[in-house]
Amino acid sequence: MKKLISIVLTVALSAFAFAGCSASGAEGESGSGSDFRVGAIYINSQNDTSGYTYAHHKGITEAMTAAGLDPATDLSIVDNVPEDAEQVTAACDQLAGEGCDIIFGISFGYIDAMEAAAAEYPDIIFSHATGYKSNSTNFNNYFGRIYQARYLAGIAAGYKSLALGNNEIGYVSAWGTEYAETCSGINAFALGCQSVNPDAHVNVYEIYTWGDQDLERQAAETLIDTFGCCVIAQHCDSAQPQIVANEKGVFGCGYNSDMTAEAPDAHLCAPIWNWSAYYQTAIEAAMSDPSAFMSTVGNYYEGINSGLVAVSELSANNEPAAQEAIDIATDLMKTGAWDVFSGTALSFTGDAGSVAVTENAADLLDSDGNVIVAAGGASVEDGVIQGSMNYYVAGVTQVNAAEG
Amino acid sequence: MSEYHLVRRGDFSYKRVIICYAIGILVSLGIGALLLIGLGINPIEYYGRMLSIGLIGNRYAYKCIEGLLKVFVPLLITSLALGLAFKMRFWNIGGEGEFLIGSICAAIVAFNSNGMPKILTIILMCLAAALSAGIVGLAVAALKVKFNTNETLMTLMFNYIMLYLIRYLGNTKAGWNFFLNPESERPIFGQFEENCKMGGIKIGCFTLLYSVIAAVMITIIIYIYLKYTKQGYEISVVGDSSATARYAGMRVGRIILRTMFISAALIGLAAGLATSTAGTISESITNNVGWTGVIVAWLAKLSVPGIFITSLLISVLQYGCQAAATQYPSIDSNFADLLQGIILFSVLAADFAATFKIVKKEGPKND
Repeated sequence: MKKLISIVLTVALSAFAFAGCSASGAEGESGSGSDFRVGAIYINSQNDTSGYTYAHHKGITEAMTAAGLDPATDLSIVDNVPEDAEQVTAACDQLAGEGCDIIFGISFGYIDAMEAAAAEYPDIIFSHATGYKSNSTNFNNYFGRIYQARYLAGIAAGYKSLALGNNEIGYVSAWGTEYAETCSGINAFALGCQSVNPDAHVNVYEIYTWGDQDLERQAAETLIDTFGCCVIAQHCDSAQPQIVANEKGVFGCGYNSDMTAEAPDAHLCAPIWNWSAYYQTAIEAAMSDPSAFMSTVGNYYEGINSGLVAVSELSANNEPAAQEAIDIATDLMKTGAWDVFSGTALSFTGDAGSVAVTENAADLLDSDGNVIVAAGGASVEDGVIQGSMNYYVAGVTQVNAAEG
Repeated sequence: MSEYHLVRRGDFSYKRVIICYAIGILVSLGIGALLLIGLGINPIEYYGRMLSIGLIGNRYAYKCIEGLLKVFVPLLITSLALGLAFKMRFWNIGGEGEFLIGSICAAIVAFNSNGMPKILTIILMCLAAALSAGIVGLAVAALKVKFNTNETLMTLMFNYIMLYLIRYLGNTKAGWNFFLNPESERPIFGQFEENCKMGGIKIGCFTLLYSVIAAVMITIIIYIYLKYTKQGYEISVVGDSSATARYAGMRVGRIILRTMFISAALIGLAAGLATSTAGTISESITNNVGWTGVIVAWLAKLSVPGIFITSLLISVLQYGCQAAATQYPSIDSNFADLLQGIILFSVLAADFAATFKIVKKEGPKND
């Protein structure tokens, strides 16, 4: 009986296999209305109302609408995919089977499985966020210069600390020097603070996870109560650090979305992502000429200039001069005249209406006093910002000891 | 005054079972349909896609079958292994942990295999996985036999130890940590070399992995083991009553140790096969088979053919829910999980209704 069942099943499965072959051999269009299909692999759910996946899903749907596609019918999503090569491979297979022409994967750990899938399906473009791998035909990576937006938020925080006469600024961070992404963000924020208040000191509290509301809250409480911080910045998922700042009557800079609603009396501005800037570029390039994707789009690493990153609108809690200084720094970065990690430090002076910037040649130092970029030197390479930065700049200290 | 209580049905009728199950499934699909309509989705279309596991209109339909089998094989072997322990009334709910330790040990072999021949490497991976998990099972059984510890708690807690161990391995960049990809700045598990990856028989485009054949063979062997061998008989006697077994001269302790070793080692073997198939490890490599396997084993009433069919159906359900959800941007996997949960719950309720009946008992006097 048992044997019989297994034989029958084996036969049935192989029959399916041959059916599959002929279906793929026919290469027929799938039944959907449009002939271009977008696939997405998410780490959380597309029905989230805030956070990382939400920001990407919003970007993809906005970009599709702008490109004349209907997200309700032309988008396939596999969501809640952990960073597990087998599950990512299964997701790629599924999306490929549904006829997707471009597949976006938004989490770092999808990297190897997407690289393999790109080799297996040469007709489909695979596009991977936050990674570092690519090939010459159908696999790219994309990310943004969020450190530029953090520098701008740092300017707002610097003005606030100057006005309050308190140099201590707090920063709740998922990770510290382990990841270039968090590390470069902390450093850029600190340099932004120092461009307004040269004595500003950034206290980093590392919570050792990308998101944990309790830890985020505790970290913010410690930074305020124990270290006397007057502004709380953050690189973590929830708005808890801003809510704590609001409760305790200090100020804060959120992340990912404008958190003024959560912390109306505290929030200054937040570094934010506008992922649609990339998704629209990528989808339109893939629609017009997929074979040229790697030359038209290639590996994508843009910042303020493309609109991929920005600071949210400044709330009424800001010092009056902040907006002007942020606009000046934005222009410098947009034109490419200046960038954050270089041998030139910006210094903002003057009151609202007459804010002036001076560019001073100065060594960019790490917290141990080592020179990273000599005075007047050009910006560090992108590879450092994206991959190998593992030190804090001068004026940053981590207040909780690094774990073994 | 009257009161109601449950009585196990004395008779058994296929007709009743089928009717109960049919009602249960229909009710669950009906609830799901209402939710789908609420989301603006045609439930018939959705269920069609779910039950056909996304095959229809798929450019690479054979990939669906391959994907389904990748879900099915670990679930089948794990459910069989759990069934073995449950038959003896030994509550091994440590499937997750046993799977993970097997997976880690298979990965130790894989990351240090340095171009060994493929067959040898994969056999060594499976052996390492089976032995490591088996030893854990043996240890839990020994504590139970020697000190009468609670195996439910022991195996449950072991799951979390292993989960945190693999998390630690996956997040700790260090010179000794050969599990990680050395090229990546961020900690990420490395990929196996080609000699550690499960091969298979090519049937057209479709690849029938050797692990599937192994799983079918294991099913047959366990069936024979339980039905026709002395050891298999001993397991059921110990399960029915260990006192009887002792009275009959069986060495109960030894039977428990042996069976638990086999149970855990089989789960380890499932992990070895799955790890080799995946070509890497991760904390989600178990795909929750340690938990789902418990449901499968009980739904199948611990019968081997029943476990085979139930785990296949549950794999279709899991894979199909996922495949259908992919095609509707508004449906996420949380909804797919919800639907799966409703269906499983209804089936369990149906099973309950088929096994028990509610009897109204006239209250005896008034005491």
